Amino acid sequence: MKALLKKDIFVLLRQMRMFLLMIAIFAVIPRGNMTVFAIVYCGMLPYTAMAYDERSKWDDLAAMMPYTASDVVMSKYVLGWLAVGCATVLSALSNFLLGLFVTTDLSSAALLPYMCMGFLMMAVTMPIMFRFGVEKGRMFFILLMVFVAVGGAGLVAGLVDSGESGEIPKTMLAFVQVGIPVLSAALTAASIPLSMAMYKKHRYH
Amino acid sequence: MDAIEIKNVSKRLGDFAIQDLSLVLPQGSICGLVGENGAGKTTAIRLIMDALRPDSGEIRVLGVDNRSPEFHQVKEDVGIVLDEAHFPETLNARQVGLIMADTYQRWDAAAYDGFLKRFGLPLKKAFKDYSRGMTMKLAIAVALSHSPKLLILDEATSGLDPIVRDEILEIFSEFTRDESCSILISSHIVSDLEKLCDYIAFLHRGRLRFSMEKDALRDEYGIVACSKSRLSELPEGAVLGTEESPYGVRALVKRRLVPASLPVERPSLEDIILFLVKGEKQA
Repeated sequence: MKALLKKDIFVLLRQMRMFLLMIAIFAVIPRGNMTVFAIVYCGMLPYTAMAYDERSKWDDLAAMMPYTASDVVMSKYVLGWLAVGCATVLSALSNFLLGLFVTTDLSSAALLPYMCMGFLMMAVTMPIMFRFGVEKGRMFFILLMVFVAVGGAGLVAGLVDSGESGEIPKTMLAFVQVGIPVLSAALTAASIPLSMAMYKKHRYH
Repeated sequence: MDAIEIKNVSKRLGDFAIQDLSLVLPQGSICGLVGENGAGKTTAIRLIMDALRPDSGEIRVLGVDNRSPEFHQVKEDVGIVLDEAHFPETLNARQVGLIMADTYQRWDAAAYDGFLKRFGLPLKKAFKDYSRGMTMKLAIAVALSHSPKLLILDEATSGLDPIVRDEILEIFSEFTRDESCSILISSHIVSDLEKLCDYIAFLHRGRLRFSMEKDALRDEYGIVACSKSRLSELPEGAVLGTEESPYGVRALVKRRLVPASLPVERPSLEDIILFLVKGEKQA
C-alpha cells in the first residue's frame, strides 16, 4: 500500500501544485465555509488520483504487480484521510494562531464534524468510484453535494425558525458534534468492504 | 516445472472469446505468442496474471495455481512489460524507482540504476516527455530489477525502430542465459519472434492454431511453387493455404504429405502464419 500511496502523492504534488496551494489558503482562512471548502476538495483528491490512474492505464499494470485488492482500495482511502486530516490540522492551527490576535468566527469544536463530513463523503462515494470509474462517480458526487447542500441548508433554516431565540437547538448541535463522527465511522466501516467488492467486480469483469 | 501451464482456458468478453486455450512454456525457454491485432494475446496475458478471471480452465504460473492465495507471492517473480509503460505520465525514473522499491520485496536499486545508465534514461525527466523507445526501456528496467524468473512481455517491441528493437531483444536473450529464467513475449512483429524464440504459439481469433518449437515448425511445413493442376494432385490435407498469381500457385503444405518429386522450400514464420490465415479464409 505504501508504494501506491507514494505514487499518488508524487502525481498529485506534481500535477496539482496550484490547486493544493489554493486548498491550503482556504484551510487557513478562519471562516467555516472556507474550511468546509478545503475539506471537501481534499476529500476529492483520491478521485483525482484515480482519474490519473485511469488516464495512464495504471490499473492494467497494477493488476499484474504484487498489489492486493486491499492495497489498491485502502491506498485511496488513506490518501483521502490524510488530505482531509491535513486540511483540518491546518485550519485548526491557523484558527488557533489567528485567535491570539483577532476574533475568528470558526470554533475549533466545529472542525471535528467538518473533518468527519469529509470522511463521510468519501465513504458514500468511494464504492461507486471503484465500480463505475471516476467519470460516472464524479457525477454521483456532484449530485450528492447538491443534495447535501440544499438539504442541509433547508434543515438548518427550519431548525433555526423553530427555535425560540432563532438559534440552532442544542439537540441539533449535539447531533453535529457526536452524531456526524459516529455516522462517519459507521459508514466508513461499511464502505471499505463494499469498495473492495466493487473493485474486484470492476477488475475481473 | 513449466514456467506457464494453461489448460483449456476459455473466456468470453462481449463479441470476442478465448476458446479452449492450452499452452505450455517450459522453464528456461522463450515462447512467442503471435497473432494479429485483436487475436487475444493481451487477453491471454491478463488471464495468466490473474488480472482477468477465465470462465473455465486453469492456469499455473511457476508451478502455482494463479487463483490461489500463493499466487500473490509468485507475482514477485514475474517481470511485466505491457505495450505502453502504464506509469502515470508525470512521474520520472527516480520516482518510479522509489515506488517499485516499496512494491517488490527483492527490488534491486543498484540494478535499476545500472539499467537506467545503460539505456541512457534521465533520472528527473518527466515520463511524458520520453520517446516511445525510452518509455519501453524504462518499463524493461523495472521488469528486470527485481530478479524475476519469468518475463511477460506484451507487444514490448511494437512501435520501436529496428535499432532499439534489436537492443531490447539482446537484453531478453541475456536474461534467458540463466536456465531458470523464461520469457513469454507477445508480438505481431513476426521477425522479432523468429529471432528470439524457442517456441512459437499462434493465436488467431481467440483460438490457438499451433504451439510448437520454432525449428519443428519449419520441419512440419513447407512452401511449394507449382501449377494449379500439379497442386491439385497432392493428397487431401497436404495443402493448408494458397496464393495464386499469373505464373502459378504458391502454397503452404505439410512436408510429410508431399511427394519427394515436388521441391519444397523452407518457410519463414511469417509465411506459415499468413498462409494459415489465408487458408482459413479460403475454406
